[in-house]
Amino acid sequence: MKVELTDITKEFTSLRGRVVALDDISIKIDEGEFFVLLGPSGCGKSTLLNLIAGLEKPTAGRIQFDDKVVADTDRRIFLTPKERNVAFVFQSYALYPHLDVFENIAFPLRIARIEKAEIKKAVEQAAATLEITDLLAVRPAELSGGQRQRVAIARAIVRKPNVFLLDEPLSNLDARLRIAMRAEIKNLQDKLGITTVYVTHDQVEAMGLGDRIAVLNRGKIEQIGTPESLYEKPAGIFVAQFIGSPPMNIIDASIIKADGKLCVVLGNQKLVIPSEKIREIEGLKENHFILGLRPEHITINPPDNAQMLTATIHSVESLGRETAVYLDVDGLAITALCDREGMGKGRQVRVRIHLDKMHIFKGER
Amino acid sequence: MSENTVRNWLVLAGIVFCLAFCLFPFIYMLVISLSTRADFLSQRASFKFTLDNFNAVLTDGSLHFPDYLRNSFLISLASAFFCVVIASLAAYAITRLQFPGRMSLLFFALAVSMFPQIGLVGYLFKFMTRLGWINTYQALVLPYTAWILPLSLWILVSYFSQIPRELDKAALVDGCTYRQILCKVILPVAAPGVLSVFLLSFIFAFNEFMFALMLTTDYRARTVPVGIALFQGLHGQTPWGNIMAASVVTTLPIVILTLVFQRHIMAGLTRGAVKG
Ligand SMILES: Nc1ncnc2c1ncn2[C@@H]1O[C@H](COP(=O)(O)OP(=O)(O)OP(=O)(O)O)[C@@H](O)[C@H]1O
Ligand SMILES: [Mg+2]
Repeated sequence: MKVELTDITKEFTSLRGRVVALDDISIKIDEGEFFVLLGPSGCGKSTLLNLIAGLEKPTAGRIQFDDKVVADTDRRIFLTPKERNVAFVFQSYALYPHLDVFENIAFPLRIARIEKAEIKKAVEQAAATLEITDLLAVRPAELSGGQRQRVAIARAIVRKPNVFLLDEPLSNLDARLRIAMRAEIKNLQDKLGITTVYVTHDQVEAMGLGDRIAVLNRGKIEQIGTPESLYEKPAGIFVAQFIGSPPMNIIDASIIKADGKLCVVLGNQKLVIPSEKIREIEGLKENHFILGLRPEHITINPPDNAQMLTATIHSVESLGRETAVYLDVDGLAITALCDREGMGKGRQVRVRIHLDKMHIFKGER
Repeated sequence: MSENTVRNWLVLAGIVFCLAFCLFPFIYMLVISLSTRADFLSQRASFKFTLDNFNAVLTDGSLHFPDYLRNSFLISLASAFFCVVIASLAAYAITRLQFPGRMSLLFFALAVSMFPQIGLVGYLFKFMTRLGWINTYQALVLPYTAWILPLSLWILVSYFSQIPRELDKAALVDGCTYRQILCKVILPVAAPGVLSVFLLSFIFAFNEFMFALMLTTDYRARTVPVGIALFQGLHGQTPWGNIMAASVVTTLPIVILTLVFQRHIMAGLTRGAVKG
């Protein structure tokens, strides 16, 4: 099932006045795609998911499942969640506390008045898929977080939905379980091939799961693309900083001409711009820009003797395999990733900046 | 004796005093109901055990006590039933729908419940006379339901508002209509609250006196509290033994109900005020 959102706007009127939760959003989600909505808290991710599910009405815009219009404000069409046949997994799981696991999973089928024998078969199959067959007689209160999560997913898949919607389903789990469940959800989606929209504020989760990711910020789409393209070619500062950990360095830089060469000024030091980036720099109208540089594109005390900056190590943080080094370049804070020992605090180091890998953003921060 | 033992003894003494103070009327009631003479405490008489009073109350047709008991049960059951139905529909709407004036509606209900009964009873009498309902069950069920509704509504609103909205959304996605959400999800999840509302309404209606006094005329609709109060007029003297025996029979089911469900009732009354 393809899902297509066209010019969707959603406003809420609340005590603090009108809130524009979603501002003119258009997205096309392909058949069988694993689509991730990524963004900081309050950016409108859940609202968007609720609109797709039919739990909220859009203020303006149209939503289509394949060729079927499920919501259209112009033509006053609005289908209920039931008519859309979507499945929803909530952050808090929303299991029915008064029913045991079997009845929880069977609930949508019972409402649809499906035959008893068929319900039993479907529930057992869903339970087997999620390996919760031995929990069928238990009440949700007695389950662990991971088990509840599985039950919630089983309830969602039991009736073969058109679209599978998940709203931060893993954020209540501990780190290890989250990684395990992440892999399971990905496998399950591959196996079932159901179009999936997955909401998260965790960029690692988004990068690991998504076929494509839409980055939302304050109700607007910043960028839609594959995880690689978001990482390699962020469309703006927001995406650049939101994706990748530690986040990309964002530095105010200015351009000067010295000895006939274009140079970037960082603090009191200058670096010659490599030939790959000259064209892009020359395209800028002003002589200052915002320079984005990933921490892994900074080398500390390299063996060669190319052009360097001098910097002071402000602090050091071990990330396990790598070490994040927070540098001070004439008052500019820059983060570097390196894998070597001996990064004493306060030491003076030489730093190589791989300007050929830099991102150039126009405008202000 | 250590300090702790002293304290324990003092606490125990306090508890015994309070219990005795509270239970004394009941014990007195029980003793009189089992005694041949109501004035056994005076020097001339002495306590003699008998079940005559109970026998008379339960079998003597002229006293009509079994009729009163049946009337009370049916009227209270009906009132409690309507209270629960109406209050749960209202509480569902108030907690789940966005309509203006939800809060003022709640406070209005609270204000109405503060109305003194005596201020209403005259009008009610006229009203029921006009309807020709005097001395019928519905003459009591209707005002009881209205009178108990505010409390029921408040209890259920506090229960319903604690049920997470995501449960409603899940049910909606699972294909429920709004009515199904109420019946299959909200009510079962709030079952302790619904039960306590039912019991409280039942007890309130069962104990009510003034409306019942004014709106009923004889055994066909008269309830127990009024019936007992009017025992005295039947014979020349006040039949204390019968009155007390009838009171014991009436109190017993209420006491049992309260003991069995006390936890639910307490939870129902304090829900929202106290956390957990
Ligand atoms: N029912 C509502 N009434 C008023 N405002 C609302 C309502 N629901 C959401 N909003 C507002 O819409 C905006 C987006 O909310 P939304 O729940 O979609 O955020 P989110 O991206 O899911 O955040 P989170 O990651 O914290 O779940 C917020 O500013 C929120 O305050
Ligand atoms: Mg959310």
